[in-house]
Parts: sequence; C-alpha cells; structure tokens
Amino acid sequence: MKPDMNESTRSKRVCRACLVLALLLPVFAAHAESVAPESQRVDQDVQALKKQLIELNRDLFRLEEELLYPASTQVAVFLSVDVGTFFALDAVTLKVDDKEVANYLYTEREVQALHRGGVQKLYLGNLKAGEHELVALFTGKGPHDRDYRRGTTLRFEKTVGAKYVELRISDREASLQPEFVVRQWE
Amino acid sequence: MLTAVAPVGRTAALAESRVAPDFALKSTDGRNLRLSEYRGDPVVLAFWGSWCGPCREALVTLEAIARETGTPVLGVNLDGSADRAAAVVRSIDLTFPNLVDGQQSVARAYDVAKLPLTLLLDREGVVQASWSGAPVDRAELIRRLETLRDE
Repeated sequence: MKPDMNESTRSKRVCRACLVLALLLPVFAAHAESVAPESQRVDQDVQALKKQLIELNRDLFRLEEELLYPASTQVAVFLSVDVGTFFALDAVTLKVDDKEVANYLYTEREVQALHRGGVQKLYLGNLKAGEHELVALFTGKGPHDRDYRRGTTLRFEKTVGAKYVELRISDREASLQPEFVVRQWE
Repeated sequence: MLTAVAPVGRTAALAESRVAPDFALKSTDGRNLRLSEYRGDPVVLAFWGSWCGPCREALVTLEAIARETGTPVLGVNLDGSADRAAAVVRSIDLTFPNLVDGQQSVARAYDVAKLPLTLLLDREGVVQASWSGAPVDRAELIRRLETLRDE
C-alpha cells in the first residue's frame, strides 16, 4: 500500500510542479524579453562611452603635445631596426648639442618588438631654430658576439616646422657589419 | 649615504599606494630588465648592498618566498659594482634577478634612505607594503601576497 501511496504523492507533486512551471514560464519569458533589450542597451552605452573616452584621451594627448612641443620648436627622434642580424642592441645614448637627452636600456622584449617592425620614440623635445648636432651612441653585441659600440652624428638645421629624425639599425650584407643610418623627416 | 640600521619595522620609503616608478637596469647575469614588464603579477622589489648584513638576511628570506610561492622578486643592488653584487648573488645562491643600480638613480627615485628596503607591489605596480631598515616579515609578506593574488 505504501509504495502506491508514494507513487501517487510523487505524481501529484510532479503535476503540481508542471502546473507551477507552466504558469510561471510566460512570466519568466516576459521578464527575459524586457531585461534583454535593457542589458543590450546598457552594453551599447558602455561601449559608446569607452569609444568617447579613447577619443578624448587621444585629443588630450595631441593637445598636450602641441602645447608642450609646438611645431616651431619640436624635435623627435625615433629608433627602428631593419633585420639587425649583425647587432644585438643593448642601449642607446642620445646627445643633442653635447647634452645627454636620452639613455635607454633595451630589454629582450623591446628588442623583439623592434625586430618585428616597431618604431620607438626615443626622444621628444624642443630646440630653437638654427644649427644643431645630434649624436647617438649605440652599444650592444656585434658580429661574433663581440662588444660593439658605435656612434653616429647628424648636423641639422631646425626650421619652423617640426623635425623628425630616424635612427635606423640595419645590416650591411657586403661587409657583414651593422649599419647605423640617420634620416631626417620634415 | 645609505645606512643599514637596526630593525625599525615597517616604515615607508616610497609611500604606500603610490605607483612604483618604472626603471630598466642591467642584471648581474647581463640581462636588461624593466620593472613595468612584470605588470600583471604582484612583485617584490628588494634594495640591498653587499656591505649590509641585514640585507643578506632579507635576500635569503626573499629567495625562500620566491621558490615557495613563485612570486617574481627583483633585487636592486646599490654597490655600484656589478662584480661585487654578482659575488653576493653566487655566495647565497640567489635565483631571482638582481639588478645593478650603479648610479643609484633608481635608489633616488624610490627615496631609499635605509637598507634593506623591501617593497611589495600589486598587479598594477602600486606599492602595497614596505619594510625599511629591517629584514622583511616573512609571514606578513606571504599573507599579503596571498591577498593580492586573490584580488
């Protein structure tokens, strides 16, 4: 008798649960329908806000650069590496008019980034119009893993526009030696 | 002049809650290391000198913590001699990187007045705790590291 009673109780409970579920399902569905567009809208708002923040940050960065380094006095020095199999970069010291303006020590990760085509802004500063001298001293390991130290000099005329200088480390295949090239951009 | 002094407990050199200034230095094994490349993990920064007795004690403790917890530890030696720093590293069998601040430029940026100085940085590079002029409190450092990891 008892098992039958249990069976009947169980089926009653199942029926009751089904009924409750059937009654609540439309409520849940309606709630989900109202919540989904709401959360979607909030998500879109957050994304739009993030985009605006990035744009604002970029504009502020530009403004700061324009104010601190106006084109009439701005000089920027960039460093890039082309292949660079004959030279393992360790550090670069930069002097402008005999004054040290940058001394950068490169980690393995940074060297890898340069090898992958990255360009580093090594220095950003202000110079009066006229003649100036830039000296870059590269230290690292040269061919046959020997300590290598090489300097390169550029005399340039600072005019009214911003001056961009690129220091490029490349390979001179003919002599199996590294080459340090300085290029100017107006 | 930096001084090694009797234990004074926890006193801040670089104030807590400040972002630790970034720097790059050459390690005793010849690699260039930059602090910011460790962002994403809690880091322990330890300033030391070979002439400072409590510093060696601190380094031994930090080596044990580094091995036990896998926490990145960076030693910063202020001797001005890479050879002397490397000799200490070998003598106490340190496996974590030790950087040589020959010009003491990093020490100035961190206002190091007493040695040893141990700083605990969180994942964002913010100073969360410091122990100055005394070896680090091992139990407290481990507890704080665990808290930072769980955050």
